[in-house]
Amino acid sequence: MAKKKLSYKNAVEEIESIVDKIENGEPDVDELAELVKRAAGLIKECKVKLKGTEDSLSETLEELE
Amino acid sequence: MEHLSLHALNNLIKTTLDSQLDPSYWVVAEIGEMRNTQNGHCYLELVDKENDRVTAKVRGTIWSYTYRNLSTWFEGMTGQALQPGLKILCNVAVQFHELYGLSVNIKDIDANFTLGERARRRKEVIDKLVADGTFDMNRGHALPLVPQRIAIISSPTAAGFGDFMDQIEQNSRGYKFSAKLYKATMQGDKAALSIINAMMQVHDHIENYDALIIIRGGGSQVDLDCFDDYELASHIAQYPIPVLTGIGHERDETIADLVAHTRLKTPTAVAEFLISGIIAFDDQLDEYFSRLFHSVNQKINVEKQRLSSLGYQLKGISKEKTASSNYTLSHLMHKVKAAAKNYFHQQQKKLDLADNTMKFLDPQQVLKRGYTITTVNGKLIKNTTLTKGDVIVSESNNYIITSTVESSNKKNGKEKA
Repeated sequence: MAKKKLSYKNAVEEIESIVDKIENGEPDVDELAELVKRAAGLIKECKVKLKGTEDSLSETLEELE
Repeated sequence: MEHLSLHALNNLIKTTLDSQLDPSYWVVAEIGEMRNTQNGHCYLELVDKENDRVTAKVRGTIWSYTYRNLSTWFEGMTGQALQPGLKILCNVAVQFHELYGLSVNIKDIDANFTLGERARRRKEVIDKLVADGTFDMNRGHALPLVPQRIAIISSPTAAGFGDFMDQIEQNSRGYKFSAKLYKATMQGDKAALSIINAMMQVHDHIENYDALIIIRGGGSQVDLDCFDDYELASHIAQYPIPVLTGIGHERDETIADLVAHTRLKTPTAVAEFLISGIIAFDDQLDEYFSRLFHSVNQKINVEKQRLSSLGYQLKGISKEKTASSNYTLSHLMHKVKAAAKNYFHQQQKKLDLADNTMKFLDPQQVLKRGYTITTVNGKLIKNTTLTKGDVIVSESNNYIITSTVESSNKKNGKEKA
C-alpha cells in the first residue's frame, strides 16, 4: 500500500488495545488522560477519513477506451 | 440417350428423400452462423466440429411463427439467446427444394440439452481452475476494513453502472469513495478479452485500490457466457486484490461469480455491500468511543469516591486525635492543679508550725512567763562586759526597772567587773 496517513486497520488495532487497557483498569489517572486523548483522536481521524474530507475524489469516467 | 431435366432430377431427389426419411429427426449440432430477417424468419447454419474443424454443415431455417415462440422460450429457459457457437439439440425436418437445394427446417429445440451442455462446459472450466489451484485464490484475500478506493470495470453506458455510482455517491451517511471506471465491453464474444484488458490496466495502479468491482447490469439477462470463460475466471481468481461482482442476472452464478471474492446479484447490491461494510466500521468506532467514555467516567467516579472517602477518613482521624489530646491535656491540668493545691497545703502547714514556734520564742511571751530582759545601752547583755556603775535596764512584763551595776562576774569566774 502506498504511504497512507492513517491505516484503518492500524488505527482500529490501537483504539482497541487502548479501550481494553482502560476497561481492565490498568492505567492510573494521569496515564488515562493521555490514552483517552490518543484513542479519541484516532476515532476522530478515522471518521474524518470516512467522510473523505481530506481527499478529493471521484474521478470517474475518464480514462481510455 | 435417355435423360432427365435438372428439375426432374431434383424432383426425384426430393421424392426419394420424402419417402425414405422420417418426417423429423432430433439432431445435435452447433449453430455456425445465424441471421434474422425482417419478416421474422431465422436463417442459420448448423455445423459439426471435431477439434474446431468443421466436419459437417447444413443450412437451416426457423420460420417466424416457430422462431418467435422458440427463441423467447429458449432464452427464458437458458438465460441466453440462440446464437452462433451454441450447441443445440433440435428437431429438424429435412427438406429439399428444387431451386434452393437441401436444408433443414428446425421445428423445435430442446433447451435442457443446452443447459446440460453448458453445465458440462462449466464443470470443465471449474475442474480446470480447481486443478490449477486458483479456484479459491481470490477469496483468500481479506477485504480491507474500509474498501473506499475502488476500481470499477463496466460499460459507462450501462444502467447498472449509473445505479452503482448514484448509490455510492449519495449514500445517506455521506461516506466518500474514490472510484475510477475502467471501460470494457460487457457482453458478446469480445467481452471476456475486453474485461481482462481492463483488469490489466487496473493492475498497473493496483496499489491505489482496495477492491475491483465488475458490474454489468440492467438490460437483458442474456449473453452471460463470457463470464463462464476460463481465461476471465482465471484472471479474476488470481487477481491480487478482492474482486466483487455484480453481473446482474438471476440464473445460476457464472464462473466469474464463483471465483470472485464476493458475489452480489446486482450493481446496486455491490454498492450496498460496500456501504454497509463502512457503516459497520463506523458503528464500531462509535462503540469504541462509548466504551471509552463509559469506562473513563467510571474510573473518574471511582477516583472521586476514593478522594472523598480519604477526606472523611482524614477528618475522622484528626477529630479523634484532637479529642484524645484534649483529654490528655485536661487530665494533666487536673494533675497540676491537684499537685499545686497539695503543695500549697503542705507549705501552709509548715508555715503554721513555724508561726507557733516563733510565737513561743517571742520575748513578750517570755516576759509574760515572768522573765526579764536586761539591756545596757539598748543592747542585750550577752558578750558585753559590764563594769561597776554601768546603768542597766530590765524589762519585765509589767515594769521597766533601771539599776546600777555593783559588780559583775563571769559565770565561769574568769572575768570580773
